[in-house]
Amino acid sequence: MIKRSLVLTIVLIGVLFLVVCPAKAADTVKVGVISVLSGPLAVIGNGEAWSAEMAINDFGTVLGKKIEFVKRDHAYNPGIANEKAKELYEKEKVDVIIACPNSAAALAVAQQALIHKKPFISTSAGTTDLIGKQCHRYIIKWNYNDYMLATTVGLWGAEHLGKKWYTITSDYAWGHDLLKHFTAALKKKGGVHLGNDMVALNTADYSPYILNAIKAKPDVLVLLNVGKDTTNSTKAAAEFGLKKTCKIVHALLFGPNIKGAGPEVFADDYCAMSWYWKVDNPGAREYADKYFKLHGERPHFMAAAVYSGTWQYLEAVKRAGTTEPEAVIKQLEGHTFRDMFANPGYIRPEDHMQVAKAYLLRAKRPEEIMEDYDYFEIVGSVPAEEAYGKPGQFGCTMKGF
Amino acid sequence: MKINSKYFPWVIVLGFIFFLLLPFMAPYKALASQILIFAIFAIGYDILFGYTGLLSFGHAAFFGLGAYGAGLSLIHLAIPVPLGILIGVIISILIAFPIAYLSIRSRGIYFVMVTLAFAQLIYFIAFKWRALTGGDDGLHGVPRPALGPIDLGSELVLYYFILFFFILSVMLGIRIINSPFGKTLQSLRENEDRAKSVGYNTNRFKLISFVISAFFAGLAGGLYAVLQNFVPLFSLGLDISGDIVVMTLVGGMGTLYGPIMGAMAIVFLKDMLSSYIDIWPLILGLIFVVSVMTFRRGVFKQLIEKFKKF
Amino acid sequence: MGFHFIFIQLFNGLILGSIYILLSLGLTVIFGTLGVVNFAHGAIYMLGAYAAYSIVTLLNANFFLAILICPIIVGTIGMLLERLLISKLYKLPHFYNLLLTFGIMFFIQDAIKIIYGPEGETFHIPQILGGSVNLGFVFYPKYRLFIILITAFLALGVWLFIERTKLGAIIRAGTDDSEMVDALGINISRTFTLVFGMGAALSGLAGVLAAPIQDVQPLMGMDILVETFVVVIIGGMGSIVGSVLAGLIIGELITVGVISWPPIATSLMYIFMAIILIARPRGFLGRAAFFE
Repeated sequence: MIKRSLVLTIVLIGVLFLVVCPAKAADTVKVGVISVLSGPLAVIGNGEAWSAEMAINDFGTVLGKKIEFVKRDHAYNPGIANEKAKELYEKEKVDVIIACPNSAAALAVAQQALIHKKPFISTSAGTTDLIGKQCHRYIIKWNYNDYMLATTVGLWGAEHLGKKWYTITSDYAWGHDLLKHFTAALKKKGGVHLGNDMVALNTADYSPYILNAIKAKPDVLVLLNVGKDTTNSTKAAAEFGLKKTCKIVHALLFGPNIKGAGPEVFADDYCAMSWYWKVDNPGAREYADKYFKLHGERPHFMAAAVYSGTWQYLEAVKRAGTTEPEAVIKQLEGHTFRDMFANPGYIRPEDHMQVAKAYLLRAKRPEEIMEDYDYFEIVGSVPAEEAYGKPGQFGCTMKGF
Repeated sequence: MKINSKYFPWVIVLGFIFFLLLPFMAPYKALASQILIFAIFAIGYDILFGYTGLLSFGHAAFFGLGAYGAGLSLIHLAIPVPLGILIGVIISILIAFPIAYLSIRSRGIYFVMVTLAFAQLIYFIAFKWRALTGGDDGLHGVPRPALGPIDLGSELVLYYFILFFFILSVMLGIRIINSPFGKTLQSLRENEDRAKSVGYNTNRFKLISFVISAFFAGLAGGLYAVLQNFVPLFSLGLDISGDIVVMTLVGGMGTLYGPIMGAMAIVFLKDMLSSYIDIWPLILGLIFVVSVMTFRRGVFKQLIEKFKKF
Repeated sequence: MGFHFIFIQLFNGLILGSIYILLSLGLTVIFGTLGVVNFAHGAIYMLGAYAAYSIVTLLNANFFLAILICPIIVGTIGMLLERLLISKLYKLPHFYNLLLTFGIMFFIQDAIKIIYGPEGETFHIPQILGGSVNLGFVFYPKYRLFIILITAFLALGVWLFIERTKLGAIIRAGTDDSEMVDALGINISRTFTLVFGMGAALSGLAGVLAAPIQDVQPLMGMDILVETFVVVIIGGMGSIVGSVLAGLIIGELITVGVISWPPIATSLMYIFMAIILIARPRGFLGRAAFFE
């Protein structure tokens, strides 16, 4: 007895679908951000979403059209990022997707970009596969990559801090890529890799791995992780007294993490960045101040990269006179620009990597900190050609239009 | 679901029209495909949970195995899509046999925990076996080669391709439920000891029911891999296992149409609420708790029983 | 590989074991007495951590005060859940309550995410318990030592309570035959509420203790929930001694994995569980009666 109730339900659902279906956007330019907006790494994603919005508001309109913004949380998960990328390209009909930390997630989004033939400006993932084996013309790789990190802090670290390294790596695409580049940098300086621990993401207790490290007696402990994993591993190193006997080098280290754990935990650690809020680029201080006024913290370099990436995308649309992906991308290839993020920045046509000067930083001791979020001292810098190596050196054979 | 009701043909016709038009009504076509995929999963799961009374908390294992099986074979062998999906289904069924055999030794709540445990084990193996599965990063680049003149690259075409499998699944599901086998399953659910005393080899029936549900799960998984061009690790994870339980329960277990609609509703709601990042798990938790507490047999079934009175 | 080093690692494995023990104690007591597989156990653990965070960081209170108060707060919440929701489903097949607690888990986790924010909170080791102690073979963090000691104390306490007190006897009786206990005039439903509260309190306490060394974030209970289930299954659902044994063994097993071949570390737990499930489905000391 199936009855009309079932029939009714079907009809009801049908109506629901029709009613709730979102109307397609009128003539606007739509920017989408996919990032990690929840969980322990939300500090990265929130900064990125805020910056994209700031850039859009500051830019105003482009080609007389309004600029719309949507954001989606991928919770640092590649599967979710893949689904959201499909949703953004197909339902929201965005013209570009920006950001996406987590190298595996970025690779997934990059694939969707190729399928949908729309640009993806990858600002936050480090894997050189994006400009290597998996490159294609719809990817514009912004901000940094793992080779740049390894070259900037890795080479210097092996030279000045010590030649015997122990590494602790987060067990996913990004960690593996980092390990590859950092050990290559170590080898270049004739150093010795004493050992490595692969640790699952979001591990809370690093004590067994720190104990492993202590046993190996390294000069330098290299932590190839990010966010809470960085905090937990560094805290454990301090707890077990490892910091007294060796120096620590980080792949990535963010101001908000230092603030959360306390600067004494990270004092005298080293890392590399493409940008720091005190850097002397035109508009950098204004951006940092506005960001501070709006959100109560200073922007990290991922956020700044998204601001720049969004801005330069809109500029490229202006120059191209259209949002047609091929035309806009052609405007970005080989383009040199100066903004708050890169002074100058250049987008290599061979592999679509945006290159600029890289900075080497030391985390300050508590007594050295003069103002809020003043956690780092810029110790040195590396010119773009050296930090990013030769264009196409990761085996990119440009596919696409 | 009785076939001989006079409304049944109407349901079929209306349902068919609805599903034909769904890709145009839904916010985007891939979502319509996703809805069908989970509906297929739910059909099989209902056979196990609703009709046989066995709650498995590890069915993502079979969904994921279907996905990885299809994904890997499509990537590494130059085969047509249906064949890749078939391989996924076969792998899912093959693994289902030993797991079912071992799990069925436990009854009641232990069965639930054992299925959960095995699913976690499979998840971990996939997680560690990076060379094969890509581990945490997932399996990239699952292709959608054209099937003769059919261009599977188009989301619309892919939807109708999946619809074909969905219709087959519904037909198969109805067949199974209304067969003597299906009736035995229900008697097993009501009172296993009595069924045993009458002479049925209850373990054998449970095993077959389990494997059947794995078949549907594997099919759904394979289609998912093709839809997403990607196999994420979470397709084996607890979230999907939980999701299918929720969809089946909220829809109304033991009805086939209930879980189908439960799946549709939840996939659709999830997408609709995706801009409201914070709230979704809260609402889901609430719906679920309310379903379990009050409706007990699911929202849709309850609604339908109410309408029966007209 | 030096014996010294192995010993340090094994000693450190006790920490992992301790948290598992505290969590599985609560879970196994709830299951043993009420027959409820409490999927919300991880969420309750998380509530304990957030309660500690709120009391210590926001209200600036003493950590030891938190250790006393938070389990009570969390236990009360547990009792409310039992009274209002869980007890209504006792008459139905067990999996209804499993599903109910599953839904409750989502609700609690997301509610906390909305109230406190999704990024999580930092929780520092209290000053008194900071620093390391020279144990002779290693400089060991004082706080971790504290966890080991408290857990040992609590495990003993719970066991004594169940085995030696009148209330414990009622609980044991209620597990075997609740109708008879009812007939004897003992208010079994009140006892059940209390037991659930106790289990929740233990879980909340684990959360308080874990807060300084783990991340306090809304989903902190999820991963550890599955691992706790593994411990309880291996130890035998309903057995306290089983939980303690299994907790210790699993903690050490994972540590052994970390020493010998890190990629396999956490997998060992699942492999071990699979072996147990095939060889002896009821776990070490589980009661066969619970195979319905």
